[in-house]
Amino acid sequence: MSSRRAFWRSENWGGWEWALAVFLGIMLLHSLAILLFTRGFLLTRSELSKYSQCEDISESPCFPPNHDQNANASCWTKPAVDRLVIIVLDAIRIDFVAPSAFFAEKKPWMDKLKVFHELASQNQSSARIFKAIADPPTTSLQRLKGLTTGGLPTFIDVGNSFGAPAIIEDNLIQQLVQNGKRVVMMGDDTWVQLFPHHFTTSYPFPSFNVKDLDTVDNGCITNLFPTLYKGDWDVLVAHFLGVDHAGHIFGVDSTPMIEKLEQYNELIKKVVGVLESQSGPGGLHENTMLLVMGDHGQTLNGDHGGGTAEEVETAMFAYSLKKPPTPLPAVDDNSSCQLDMHGKWICINSFYQLDFAATVSALLGLPFPFGSIGRVNSELFSLAGGTWNQDMSTSDDDQNPWKVESWLQNYVNVLCINSWQVKKYIDVYSSLSLIGFSEKDLLHVSEIYAQAQELWSITSKNFPLNKSQSSFASLPSVKRLINAYSRFLESVAALARSNWTEFNLKMMGMGFCIMLSSLYLHVYLIKRLDKLCGLPTCHSGYFRSFFGVHFPYIVVLIRAFSFLSNSFILEEGKVAGFLLATTAMLHLRDAIMKKMMLLEAIALSLLVPLLRIGIELGQLKQAVNSLFLKLDPSKTSGIDNNSQFWMYFAEVLPILALTVIAYLLYKSLACCSSQGILKYVIVGTLLNYLLIPIHWATDSSLLSVPMLLGGGNLIPRVTYAAGILQLSLVIGQIFVRKRSSNWEESTVVKALALLSSWSSTIIVLSGKQGPLVVIGLLIGGWCIIRLKTLGQNAENSCSGSSLSYALSMTQWSLLAVCVFFSSGHWCAFDGLRYAAAFVG
Amino acid sequence: MTKMLFLHISCGLGLVSAFWVAHNFYSLTLLQNPAKTLRTLWAVEASVVILLYSLFRRNPDQCSYLRAVLRGLLGLPTGAVVNALGAIVLGAPVGIQHFEKTIHWSLLMSVLTFVPAACVFGSCWSDWLRVFAHTEAIAACIDWIICIGAHGAVIGAWFGAWPMPLDWERPWQEWPICVTCGAIIGYLVGLIISFGFVVFHNQKQRVKGD
Repeated sequence: MSSRRAFWRSENWGGWEWALAVFLGIMLLHSLAILLFTRGFLLTRSELSKYSQCEDISESPCFPPNHDQNANASCWTKPAVDRLVIIVLDAIRIDFVAPSAFFAEKKPWMDKLKVFHELASQNQSSARIFKAIADPPTTSLQRLKGLTTGGLPTFIDVGNSFGAPAIIEDNLIQQLVQNGKRVVMMGDDTWVQLFPHHFTTSYPFPSFNVKDLDTVDNGCITNLFPTLYKGDWDVLVAHFLGVDHAGHIFGVDSTPMIEKLEQYNELIKKVVGVLESQSGPGGLHENTMLLVMGDHGQTLNGDHGGGTAEEVETAMFAYSLKKPPTPLPAVDDNSSCQLDMHGKWICINSFYQLDFAATVSALLGLPFPFGSIGRVNSELFSLAGGTWNQDMSTSDDDQNPWKVESWLQNYVNVLCINSWQVKKYIDVYSSLSLIGFSEKDLLHVSEIYAQAQELWSITSKNFPLNKSQSSFASLPSVKRLINAYSRFLESVAALARSNWTEFNLKMMGMGFCIMLSSLYLHVYLIKRLDKLCGLPTCHSGYFRSFFGVHFPYIVVLIRAFSFLSNSFILEEGKVAGFLLATTAMLHLRDAIMKKMMLLEAIALSLLVPLLRIGIELGQLKQAVNSLFLKLDPSKTSGIDNNSQFWMYFAEVLPILALTVIAYLLYKSLACCSSQGILKYVIVGTLLNYLLIPIHWATDSSLLSVPMLLGGGNLIPRVTYAAGILQLSLVIGQIFVRKRSSNWEESTVVKALALLSSWSSTIIVLSGKQGPLVVIGLLIGGWCIIRLKTLGQNAENSCSGSSLSYALSMTQWSLLAVCVFFSSGHWCAFDGLRYAAAFVG
Repeated sequence: MTKMLFLHISCGLGLVSAFWVAHNFYSLTLLQNPAKTLRTLWAVEASVVILLYSLFRRNPDQCSYLRAVLRGLLGLPTGAVVNALGAIVLGAPVGIQHFEKTIHWSLLMSVLTFVPAACVFGSCWSDWLRVFAHTEAIAACIDWIICIGAHGAVIGAWFGAWPMPLDWERPWQEWPICVTCGAIIGYLVGLIISFGFVVFHNQKQRVKGD
């Protein structure tokens, strides 16, 4: 640092402007590298704003539906159901829904939604439980997008701005509205953000407040039942959030979760009751289908977002109220069956959420969404598919094989339309999008499609166009055709998955190379500066001093390589702690050798395990939470005396730590006076520090301070406002440069003011462990700065060279990483700190 | 010269035979029963190390053999405390279920690093400093052996900790196992290097003498 400052003053090399240009250039290079890297890393997919139209079907080689028979609006396929009730239960795991017989071990949260088991075992042909497999990222917004568009949304789709996430791609809801269906929505307000103008009626409820388990659900329930009795809608969407929120707050294995599941059991029972009561001929729900589904799963801690089996596997339950007289055969049998507790068979099929949009469109007779790459699922389709022929065939008891064949031909036709639409999308996408698919893959897919199409043109000659004709294609040839289409659709899905869920390595490599070259530039400039300022360069003669100089680089390299492994990233806090402790121990050795600054070295070494305790506490946070919940009712009397003390201790400790910080700040303020506004900024921070303990006191139940200040949100808001004000003042001061004589002191005061102005906000946000962590950081920083002089004395030959700061800089960055992790963060979706959102 | 060779070989063989004893007499392996295996290891190796290094004690006129052995026995728990603290600072797990393993591991580390120096130097602080901190100013062969062996064990243990956070879910990734293996391998490598040093040193002196 001092060399740089010397350079700034020395002005013999072009002076200020030149230096600024160098710094700006390096910054530009850095940002370019980061931009390129993230472009490759954060997967992108272009959204096409093309929509499927009803008339498009005439372009397809497949049979259009028979308009003469079905008077009501049918577009691409023959509608199988008239009305659809979709109940979305957020974050439902498959083991909530499926009977416990399917799993190795029965857990307390299993078998709570018994209504599904009963329905599925009683109505084998019209009700079924599916294991729905979602595609990552498993967050609600992305999943809803994926479900309705039938595509694979990535975190950042091109054309999506953060402010308005409305879907601009073609989607299921859009198709419903376009074809005159009326859609009613209730529950999670994400739907309204995604589809702002589509619903005829909507009852949105805010989804952000994770701590609130009931508002959304109760709102849903009060609106759901009146709506079920009404006839003014075609599709109803009810999105319940209780399970998701219960998971986030309490975890899966908790009483609130089980209560929620029991509540849902009653709810679904009631809904089914209402639907069945109206399902007679001519009733409101004569041809209604009920779909109960999760949008994604959750881990035992209640987190989701990633791609592990727990998060990806969710459930779907389908129940068609118009019962087909005979069960239809599954086309490809992927179901697994088990005896449930009452000795009845229950079967579970797997279902990809990718297929949802296409299947529902086919059921309702809508055009498939333009961007859908899913395949019409045969099991879900067959649940309602059997209902077509009921009106037509009067004496159907002895015509079973006829019906099966007719259904199969219908399904083949639907698959033909499905494949035609997917092929069209792939062609349009690769012609329009900047980053399309590779030529080889496209050719491969086209070949498969051509084969299937050839088969179609041979087989379809034998299809009956209407009922009066009675010549059939043979069953095996139809099955062959189904297989050909399935193969095409599967290969497209695999291609899309690899393209939209894998990284763009070229882009990442380029960004990485630019980053490396900018680092080289850095080193080169620093060396040049050293030479310019007449500082001696280091000559490493002994092995020992060579090791001393290069040790920090080795540490940095180890850390860099540790990022190549996934498991090291998960343990990043511990790895950083390990390396920091290693450097601290080397310092300790040096200190013992020179018999000076022993205290600092020991303090630094001891700081590391303390920070590690913080990291481990943070990781245990949720487990501990649910543990306390379980312990509290049973053992409160037993551990009362002991825990009371500890709880008081836990309350008082952060306040003590905060006092220490305030005192240090006050002392540093006293030692360098004379800076007008900046001084007031620091005083303002001190006042904020006074307010923060009051806020904690009003929050905590132990000290029972009466609520003086009108709700708990006032103080954090005051702190935020003061923080912003202070920050703007400080920034203003920095840019109004004064020619002061004492360069060093004014820099120190400015830095101090800048730090203090946002410290209070950060302390409020990070909760009660905030001040403890800040104290740790201060002690660590102090030790490192003190120990730096130790290292300098060791190598007299190169003291003052910028490179001799390398060790302390490395230590500082490692310490910063440790502190980041010990304040309760870690690198996973579940590491996001929800608590911060509730402060003010 | 032969004495040195004997010292090196018996230290190495001590460890190997300790493994053999643990395996054949008590049917213990490091994987299944780390705490008990470590106990056997350090007990066997400690007896070898203390008895042998006490022969090389500094100032043999003023200090009897028995006293050197006693110093070694005292150094054993002291070194264990230092090693345990170091391990905890570097990230060893703290907890009741790990307590026994940590104790036995640190006793073994103490045997490899601390006890030889305690036997040879006793409580002479300047000697300790000279060997462990100012590694340049080393004169006698025994200093080299102590210094390189101890550094080998510590550096080996440090590297041994690397595979611990990997998610391979292997049993040997548990706390003291891979660290122990690293330490032992490091110590053996250290022994080989130090023997090389001793040979080199002797030749140089012989050349000087000529």
